[in-house]
Parts: sequence; C-alpha cells; structure tokens
Amino acid sequence: MSRLCVGSSHAYKVRISIKTALGNQAYVWNDNEMYLFRAAMAFALRSYHNGQEFNVSNIMVCNETPRVSFWFVVSSPENSSVLLKKGDVENAIRKSRNRINGAFLLTDQTLEFIDIPPTLAAPVMPVTPPWLIVFGVVMGAVGAGIIFLLVSSLVQSKRKKNKKTLDEDREDMRGIENGLGCDNLGGVYNTTFSDGDKFTPM
Amino acid sequence: MDKGGSRPNWDSPMQFVLACVSYAVGLGNVWRFPYLCQMHGGGGFMIPYLFMLLVEGVPLFCLELAIGQKMRLGSIGAWTAISPYLGGVGLASVMASLYLCLYYNIINGWSFWYLFHSFQSELPWAECPLNANLTGPLEECEKATATQYFFYRETLNISSSIEENGGVHTGQALCLLLAWIVTYLFIVRGVKSTGKVVYFTATFPYVVLIIYLIRGVTLHGAINGVKYMFTPKMEQLANPTTWINAATQIFFSLGLGFGSLIAFASYNEYNNNFERQAVIVSFINSGTSIFASIVTFAIYGFKATVNYENCLERVRLLLLNAFNLAEDTINMDNIFEWMERLNQTHPQQFAELDLGNCDLTQELDKAVEGPGLAFIVYSEAIKNMPLSQLWSVLYFFMLLLLGMGSMLGNITAITTPLRDFKIFSSVSVEVLNGLVCLFCMLLGLGFTTTSGNYWFTMFNDYGATFSLLFVVLIEVITVSYIYGIKRFEKDIEDMIGHRPNWYWKIMWAGISPILLIALFIFYIANYIMGGTPTYMAWNKDLGTSEVTPYPVFGQVFIVLLLASSVSCVPLTALYAYCRKRKRSHHKRQPTVSTLSA
Repeated sequence: MSRLCVGSSHAYKVRISIKTALGNQAYVWNDNEMYLFRAAMAFALRSYHNGQEFNVSNIMVCNETPRVSFWFVVSSPENSSVLLKKGDVENAIRKSRNRINGAFLLTDQTLEFIDIPPTLAAPVMPVTPPWLIVFGVVMGAVGAGIIFLLVSSLVQSKRKKNKKTLDEDREDMRGIENGLGCDNLGGVYNTTFSDGDKFTPM
Repeated sequence: MDKGGSRPNWDSPMQFVLACVSYAVGLGNVWRFPYLCQMHGGGGFMIPYLFMLLVEGVPLFCLELAIGQKMRLGSIGAWTAISPYLGGVGLASVMASLYLCLYYNIINGWSFWYLFHSFQSELPWAECPLNANLTGPLEECEKATATQYFFYRETLNISSSIEENGGVHTGQALCLLLAWIVTYLFIVRGVKSTGKVVYFTATFPYVVLIIYLIRGVTLHGAINGVKYMFTPKMEQLANPTTWINAATQIFFSLGLGFGSLIAFASYNEYNNNFERQAVIVSFINSGTSIFASIVTFAIYGFKATVNYENCLERVRLLLLNAFNLAEDTINMDNIFEWMERLNQTHPQQFAELDLGNCDLTQELDKAVEGPGLAFIVYSEAIKNMPLSQLWSVLYFFMLLLLGMGSMLGNITAITTPLRDFKIFSSVSVEVLNGLVCLFCMLLGLGFTTTSGNYWFTMFNDYGATFSLLFVVLIEVITVSYIYGIKRFEKDIEDMIGHRPNWYWKIMWAGISPILLIALFIFYIANYIMGGTPTYMAWNKDLGTSEVTPYPVFGQVFIVLLLASSVSCVPLTALYAYCRKRKRSHHKRQPTVSTLSA
C-alpha cells in the first residue's frame, strides 16, 4: 500500500507551515495532530459523498518529513483496496477547505495541498469606485472656486463701470451753472467752435 | 516702453521670487536629478553640477529676467523690441511652451489619479488583481509587478505600440479635465491670481519633502541607499557624458528659453533687483534637487532592502520545501551556510532549483528616471511603508503641487505674449486664459488614448529640448553681440542702480555661448549617430518594456516637432525683412507725388 502512496494518480502531497502561520503561538506537530488531519479528511469526504461513511482508517498517510509534509491516499469505505481517484478527493477538499483550515488555525497558504490551487476570495467591489467620489468632491470645490472668482470679477468690473459713469456725470454737471444744463437753454448749437476737427490741421 | 502704465504687477517682489521658485522647482528635480546622480558617480556628480550652475545656469537665468523686466513685454514683444528680425525667437519660445503645456498636464492628471486612488483601505497597486476563475493573480500582473501593472494597464491602458490606437481612457480624461480646471483657477486673473497661489505651491512641497526625509531615513535599509549615493565614483568625472548631462540638467531644470521667466519678469517693478533674485532662485532650485535626491536614495535603499529580503525569503522557502527541512532550521542568518551545505551534500538536486540571484547592490543599481521613478518605483516603496495611504496621499499631493507650479509658468509664457498683441488686448483676461486652457485641454485629450503614452514620450523627448537650446543660444548671442553688452550694461544700471560686474559679462559674452554651442553640437551628433529613434513599448505578454523603433510617421512627426519651433526664427526674420522692404518701397512713392504737385 505504501508504494501507491507517493506520486501516483491517487496520492496528494500536503505541506504544513505552522510556524509561518502562528509564530510564537505555534503548536507542535505530533501524532495527535495527524489524527485530526485524517479525521478532517474523512469529514470532508463524508460531506462531499453524501451517504458514504468514510472513516479515519480510510485515510492513509506516508512519507512524513520534518518540514511537516506528507503524502496521503484515500481508500473507498466499501472496499479498502480500491483507492479514490484524485478528482473526487480534490472536489471534496475544495468544498470543505475553510473547515479544514479552521481546524488547524491555518490558511490556504500555510496548509497547502500541492496541485489544488486555492479559490481566492473575490475582491470586494463597491458600487461607486471610491476614487470617483474623491474626484467629484475636488471637482465640485474647484468648480465652485472658479465660478466665485468669475462672478466676483464681473461684479467688480460692473461696479467700476458704474463708478466711471458716475464720475463722468459729475464732470458733465460742471457745465450747469445755475442748475440749468446748456442743452436746456433752448438755443441753436453753433458748430463753428465745435471740437470735432472736420478740417485737416495745418 | 512705459515705466508705469496699466500693466498688472506682482503684489510684492516676494511673489515674483516664489513664482520663479515654483516654476523652476518641478518634477525634474525629483525624477531626473537623482537618476543622473546615480548614473554619474553619486556624490561626485556635485562637482560638474555646481560648476555648470555657476557657468551656465545663473548667468542665463539672470539674462532672461533682465530682458523681461526691461522690456515689460512677453517673449514675442520683447525680442521684437530688441530687434525686429528676432521676433521669431519669442515665437519659437511660445511654440515650445505650447508643446509643453499640451503634455505636461497629463502628468498632473496622473498625479490626481494616483492621489484619488490612495483613499482606499488597501492601495490598488499593492496587490495584483485576480484572474477570471479566482485561482491566482492576472497573468500580465504576475509577469510584471503589481505597481507596473497598475501604471501600464489600469492607469494608461497602454497599447502594445504607437501604431495601435484605441479609445480615450475616461478616467484619464476626467483627471486631465480636472488638472486644466485647476490650472485655470490658478491663472484666471493673470498675475493677480498666480501671485497668491505661488505662496502655497512654492512652499508646501518643501514641507512634504522634509516629512519624507524624516520618514525616509528612519526606514529599514534606507541607510544602504544613502551610503550608495554619497560614495563618489570619481572616475565618472572623466566621462564627458557626465559634464554634458550636468549642463543639460541645469539648463532644463531652470526652465530657460520657454519665455516663462521673461513673462514673469515683465510684471516686475522697473527697479526690482533681479540680479540677486536670479542667484537666489538658481541656488534654491539646485539645493532642492540635491535635497530631493537624498530623499529618493533613502527610498531606493528601503525598496532595494525589502526586495532583497523578499528574494532571500523566497530562496529560504524553496530550500525548505525541496529538502523537506523543518521550518525553523533556515533563517536569515544562516541561509548562506545552508546553501553551501546543501550544494555540497545534494549537488544535483540543488542545481535543479531555480534560486535566482539575490544581490543588494544589483537592486540598488537599478536606476530609473522619469514617470517610471515617480509613479512606479516610489509607489512600490510606499506600499511597503506602514500607514501607506497617508504617505501615498502626501507624496502625490507634493507631485501635484510641483507639477502645477511649473504649469503656472508654462501657461503664463503663452498668455503673456498673446496679451501683448493688439487684437487680444480688448478681450478680458479671464476669457483669454480660459480659451488657451480649453484649446490645450482639447488637444491634450489625444494623450489619454491607449497609445497616448507613446506620443507623450515623443513630445517629452523632442518637443522642447533641441529647440530650447537653439533659442537660448540665439538669445545669449543676440544680447551679447547684436544688442551689445555695453547697451545691456546701461539698461541694467538703469534698472537696478549698478553695472553688472566682470563675472556676468564674461559669462554672457564668452563662456555661456561657447558652452551652449558645445551642447548644441553634441545634441545634433547624438541624434544623427543614434540611428532610428526608439521608444520603450510595453509588451503585455512578457510584462516588460522593450525597445522599439519609431515607425515612419513617428519619425516624420519628430522632425515636424523640431522643425516647427526652430524654423520660427528664420521665417520671422524673413517676414520682417520683406515687410521692411515693402514699407520702405511704399514710403518712397509719396515723396515723388508731392514734388510733382
């Protein structure tokens, strides 16, 4: 049986990195932990194959190394000389991966099943990308600033224009001596002494 | 040449100095100078750099300020006033500034993009996105690094060559729009707005640089980078490229020849002491370059150390897994011993492993310049810092201020000469500035397409480099020999009360022109001997950039870019000559008719 354990079409290699995952709180890998592993595998297979009662004895482990890596094969509960194909085992492990990880306080990266890539968590995509929100805020602020500046310069130039016409009116008033404008005296405008130079200068 | 009049002025000389500092201190101080420093022998590069500053930078800077302050006109008007045949020099400056404005705000758009993307719980360039069936990272991202992927794919959505075109990247277009709106906000009333804005854009980047310096030198492994930078490799001084690069860097870093300095100085009081201000601004600019490179090298050291340690960690895992050793047998201290031991005990198995080479010096040697440094290398370093969102926001905000400060000068170099023309003086300041910004933005949208980054690189390399050397060479020869040093001296005495001393005169009349001619010849020789111009195209299958020659239309466009600004000078001279002949011909005829009458 141990010849079939390594590298065949029925065996999986497992690698466990406890110290990387837990640091100071790492537990020691011993036979009890291995028993838990076999039980977890049996649990996973039971959940996947509804009805078939897998036992710890159906999970056979070999080639344990100090790395903490080993190979295992699964035999069928009906006939212990028949080994389960890799595809079945893989699907079972995939379905219960989180539960298996949780039993050992490990993650997909620290409890590795070689050749079974972990299904990574889908990234959380908010409805509005956050950058658009910040963009909207800044654009709004800048737009408001420009409108404010343009309006205030328009108001200023209008005020200046009003002030200018006011000054011009005041200058025009100088011609009114007794409160009567020259235009209101009812005379005829003599063009001989007008300012407009209709004749070319000498 | 009215000494008073209705020309707007800076509120105070301080505003003018800050405007010049804000303009000169730009992105090149952060992303070009550290690269040159690294390439040319670290601390030893200071010698050619400071030499070129004294011989080329300060005199030419002062020259442009003097012209602007004396003529009180933008570049076109000022040069036409000096000599009617040389209005083309001003026009060439405006063309170069126009090309610069078209593509420079794209960089500010990128800064906005990265700044907005920093407001997330995890920086988007920290991790590769997952592929469709969620089994691993995207292939392109895995081959390159996450930061490169974010820049080339998500920020630019770059195509594989300049010939392949696609649509406009909406995110980029929005950021470009925002960049132009902010630029308009800063210049809407001309110098009155610009003068107030420069108090912030000139000073805040220094605050960020100091914060980064403190953060940088306390980072793990930063000291490796700083040591690497300051160890001078004196043999680089014998290499002529070192001196040429120092001269070119001083030249472009100070922003000579664009007409911005002439434009800024034209709003000065007639008696402003520009001589002292020129020296101050030039030294501040160079000091900032050196300061920024210390920060950059601290960051480099940190990044190289992190990469080196990651490499060692990868090797450690490989060894542990291949030889099935317990986890705590190999650690960082004894990894090299173990490598040797395993090589001796299991040579064949060891040779089969793909360990790669972990070398700290090799990591430090990786020199990057340009947008690659600012947006890829720095963001890679930032993602490894604790509290990376805060550092990211600070950093990209600083980049934004540096870029915006330079844009102020670039845009003013276009609007000031335009306002000097009679047709535009009736249009209000706000409307004219708005039209210029709108025009540049619409053309700039072309740089946000999928091949836009390749056009950007083309404009960056050829749009305003060679033509500026030509312009400044003509400027200095004109002032020294055509206008005459004696007349120039008198003008300066009229403005600031004393004649320029022998240092200035020797530089203006002698050394600077010779240096510029040498640079000019070098550029031409380099261009001719370089063969077909090439660019770096991103290959998404390999996840890396590769050297690609420009296609024929690209090379034609390069020639057009160069020719369009340089040819302004002879064409305008020809035009002025023809007009003068027509006018003198026209003047001769009436005298004949009155005699006959």
